Amino acid sequence: MGISTVSAKGLAGWTSDLLARLPAPSGPLAAVQRRGREALAALQGPSRRQEAWRFTDLALLAGLDLNPSAALSRGAATDGLARQGTSQSGPGTLRLKLDGGSDPLAGVVLPAGVSPLSESELALALGHTLAATGCEQHWPVELNHASASQLLALRVASRSQVSLELVSDAASELQPLRVLLILEEKAQLQLCQRLTATGAGLTSLVLEAHLGRGARLEHALVALGQVDAALLAHLALEQEPESHVSLVAVSAGWGVSRLEPRIEQVDGSATTTLRGLQVVAGDQIADTHSHMAFGGPEGQLDQLHKAVADGRGRSVFNGAVRVSRAAQRTNAAQLSRSLLLSDRARIDTKPELEIVADDVRCAHGATVSCLQQDELFYLQSRGIAADQASALLKRAFCEEVLRELPAPARRWCPFESLLATHGSDRGPAIAVESGREGLEGEGG
Amino acid sequence: MTTAASVGDLVSQPYKYGFVTDIETEKIAKGLSEDVVRLISSKKDEPAFLLDFRLRAYRQWLQMETPDWAALGYPTIDFQNIIYYAAPKQRDKKASLDEVDPKLLETFDKLGIPLSEQKRLTNVAVDAVFDSVSIATTYKEKLAEHGVIFCSISEAVKEHPELIERYLGTVVPSNDNYYSALNSAVFSDGSFVFIPKGVECPMELSTYFRINSGDTGQFERTLIVAEEGASVSYLEGCTAPMFDTNQLHAAVVELVVLDDASIKYSTVQNWYAGDEHGVGGIYNFVTKRGHCRGDRSKISWTQVETGSAITWKYPSCVLQGADSVGEFYSVALTNNYQQADTGSKMVHVGPRTRSTIVSKGISAGHSANSYRGLVQIGPKAVGARNYSQCDSMLIGDQAAANTYPYIRSQQPLASVEHEASTCRMSEDQLFYLQSRGIAFEEAVSMMVSGFCRDVFNQLPMEFAAEADKLLALKLEGSVG
Amino acid sequence: MLPTLAAAVSISDSFVFSPVIRPDADILLEITGLHARVEDNAILKGVDLTLRAGEIHAVMGRNGSGKSTLSKVLAGHPAYTVTAGTVTYRGQNLLELSPEERARLGVFLGFQYPVEIPGVSNLEFLRVATNARRVQLGQEELDTFAFEDLVRERIKVVQMDPAFLDRSVNEGFSGGEKKRNEILQMALLEPLVAILDETDSGLDIDALRIVAAGVSQLATADTATLLITHYQRLLEAITPDFVHVMAAGRILRMGGRELALELEERGYDWVDQELAALELG
Repeated sequence: MGISTVSAKGLAGWTSDLLARLPAPSGPLAAVQRRGREALAALQGPSRRQEAWRFTDLALLAGLDLNPSAALSRGAATDGLARQGTSQSGPGTLRLKLDGGSDPLAGVVLPAGVSPLSESELALALGHTLAATGCEQHWPVELNHASASQLLALRVASRSQVSLELVSDAASELQPLRVLLILEEKAQLQLCQRLTATGAGLTSLVLEAHLGRGARLEHALVALGQVDAALLAHLALEQEPESHVSLVAVSAGWGVSRLEPRIEQVDGSATTTLRGLQVVAGDQIADTHSHMAFGGPEGQLDQLHKAVADGRGRSVFNGAVRVSRAAQRTNAAQLSRSLLLSDRARIDTKPELEIVADDVRCAHGATVSCLQQDELFYLQSRGIAADQASALLKRAFCEEVLRELPAPARRWCPFESLLATHGSDRGPAIAVESGREGLEGEGG
Repeated sequence: MTTAASVGDLVSQPYKYGFVTDIETEKIAKGLSEDVVRLISSKKDEPAFLLDFRLRAYRQWLQMETPDWAALGYPTIDFQNIIYYAAPKQRDKKASLDEVDPKLLETFDKLGIPLSEQKRLTNVAVDAVFDSVSIATTYKEKLAEHGVIFCSISEAVKEHPELIERYLGTVVPSNDNYYSALNSAVFSDGSFVFIPKGVECPMELSTYFRINSGDTGQFERTLIVAEEGASVSYLEGCTAPMFDTNQLHAAVVELVVLDDASIKYSTVQNWYAGDEHGVGGIYNFVTKRGHCRGDRSKISWTQVETGSAITWKYPSCVLQGADSVGEFYSVALTNNYQQADTGSKMVHVGPRTRSTIVSKGISAGHSANSYRGLVQIGPKAVGARNYSQCDSMLIGDQAAANTYPYIRSQQPLASVEHEASTCRMSEDQLFYLQSRGIAFEEAVSMMVSGFCRDVFNQLPMEFAAEADKLLALKLEGSVG
Repeated sequence: MLPTLAAAVSISDSFVFSPVIRPDADILLEITGLHARVEDNAILKGVDLTLRAGEIHAVMGRNGSGKSTLSKVLAGHPAYTVTAGTVTYRGQNLLELSPEERARLGVFLGFQYPVEIPGVSNLEFLRVATNARRVQLGQEELDTFAFEDLVRERIKVVQMDPAFLDRSVNEGFSGGEKKRNEILQMALLEPLVAILDETDSGLDIDALRIVAAGVSQLATADTATLLITHYQRLLEAITPDFVHVMAAGRILRMGGRELALELEERGYDWVDQELAALELG
């Protein structure tokens, strides 16, 4: 494989190649690009020697020959096509296509309650939540800074209820996606986001959302890649009191994926529900590093992370929960459950609880096992064939997370598309119906 | 609020083992070099293989860097400002206890470990280590009748060099980590236990470590071997005087168990923890590991950690033999500015190996108490099982409790389960006990021992009371 | 500040009632003008109540009327601060005593919500508490064997499964089991004044009957009982000598057991009206 020769050059070489090939800074993010490129040139890329990357090898990334300008120069050519796909998305739902190059709002009529951020607002808000959640200098974020030329920056007005769909599909390219959302007081946003890959590319997502008092964000992220594609995603969320975040993230099929949800309850008194499901097979690596910080009293977290590892796949979960001194009466529960289906696969899971407040309830748990033999046996004793029984149990295992996806996102990832990773080294086939919908929906 | 404050007061009881024994001591000059390593070896009249072992370790140590991954903060240790060998001056050979300096006997008397024939604990054999040397071992003859060897490691080097050569460094290789390399280069004394095939050790064995000198590092080395079908229960205790400087303690403990053998290793650690401002106290960097080499072998670690300014310690089990069992039961109490980063590693290699981890952390004052553990299930560990439970109790809102349980599994037919919870001693619980006539101090103590009960139940009978007393001492106004 | 309302009410002619059944009986507990607050909220605003030996009193009232606060204050809960008034227990100032001293001297609070204390053995807890009381009474402490005999005898009062002795204090107990455990403690501690806070809440009919029988059995000519309850149903099983109606931190009315029946029939609305009238006046 070509990878060995490329990885000899390593991630550092890959990064400098990429930097050299990036087009000159331009567009609304020109200043961010400049700073990001400087930072990236100076930053040491992730390596297994760093605790945060101890189990996750980005060798695959170093092997990707990306044309950074493919997505970035797409620009005006497709602008005209970027239109609202009202027919496929539900009534009242706005579907936007993000391709990393063109302006996602060109030609789009925004529904009531949603407005683009002005330049002056952007100057204040962009990067604020990244800094608040302590990830603005993470390598994947700087990579996005260096390369993203377009962004989607929206404000959801106070007390309005909005439903948005974001879809992206990366070919053999670097697709940097940058999203900034401001939810005003008591605003409600349902955000269904789909990331897919059709080539040996890299999707780099940096999403920031700031939730005002009493706001609600329901974010479903469905990321279905393929074995030669990589995903690096940071989801940074800042919550004011009485706000609610529900994040359901499902990822499968990527050669390597790294998902970092980072949530800060600024003054506590907010609720956060996190659900994660990641599926690996073949030689895939899926890594979720979640980070939850309570900055004030009476915050709540309910987190469930599930992983399925088959083949020679590796699943990594690191769940940090930090309860500061001010965060009295925090109630946090985290559970990590992993299914290990092959003796060549590997699961690494590590909850991290750091608590400096005495009146808190924090519980976490982790389990790693294969399918329960007694459950299998029970099904078999009722006449169900062994493979069918195990498929049923796997499905039940995944369903606990999948069923929490809002309906549009649920349609994007039928259970079969996740299971498709088993038994073959191909990525999951996206269900034809929804796949076509995704590609053609924007044609209008 | 009132509860936190008054519980805080309770936790801050004075350290009662802080006295210094005034005794003439032979020390070598400060600093570490190859010459110092040679000097230690020659003072102990060691065979060539051991000098080689030390020199190899020293050279490895020079190449290594201090570990920085633990959740601990402390100034850089100046390894050239430490004395690596100190021994109380006394006649060369202590044929009997009568020849041991009465001051030393008195010291151990004061520590509650009487060594003299009349007063010594019944049914517990004790090896007393003072600074760098073992000064006495009780019940040696009685143990010898059963073929059990229990002596200082220096003595074992002379009397049983073949056993030392066969086992030393085979569980914790000298280059395992920075402090194990340092220990392997300069270790002074410690205990050696050998239980031959089929023997159940007739009494509890115990080593008591006492640091006396203010500028001396203590580097003891313990090696316990249980041959096929043998079993032993071993306990170590530790105290040190109060100094306003920090002393380094870097021990290595190696356990080897063969087929059907078992070792139960209990520790009650009460090194001086520094004062209420965090000045002074022992830096405790310890590598403890047991190797279940044989099928159906078993190692059980129980620790009650209450002392030291800094504790860095992860008693571990490598479960190689089929059906072997590893256990870790721990209570760690930190107060004032103490920092503890402690836990266990269970490495499952063989099939059907089982392990249990129960860890209870209590943090008070400005202290930080971290549980860090690793459960690793290797590809061949078919049918392996682990269960871990880590609970933290916080007293006051200035203390920190951290939990970092790493799990790695490569075997589908294995199951790993981890549970953790954090609680506080609630005002309502204390009030409930008080409203039934139970005094505040007793109510606190009942709740702490209740919290720790799963662990105390694992201590040998003779020491369960001692551990309870020790926690009570830290948490209660007075001990009856 | 207003004169205490209870005093105002007791002279009203809305009922005819003799407040003392045995005037010669010892006064065990005397509460006068008791004011208390939790954090910044004043909850008790002048409570007067006298308990004599041999009497059973019931304090009724809505949620938030201050009933439970009264019981917590009497037991010495640290979250409540007494701002005015006195409580005298057998001639002694109760308010200066710590919770454990009150318990040892014979004041018992049966909790509405008994807390769970994981890890602390119920049997051990009961023994330590019983011995603390015995030492106070000048009796010798019981060793584990003697105590087990005592518990096995007393446990019959509440018909509790002895298996609960081996569990942690209240841990995993059902509501009814917790209440039985409370009454068992009462049976062991033999208090002179027993304050039972909503002992009937969360009990099914059978459990209520058993608990009530236990309480009745433990109420003697030498003891006084204060039942704090929202409903009349407990009072069907245990007949009170006096009923007090509490509202807005004061005792609004006092009467015989017929007052409880009146409350049951008419509900608490008239209390509000009466209270409003008083506040206007």
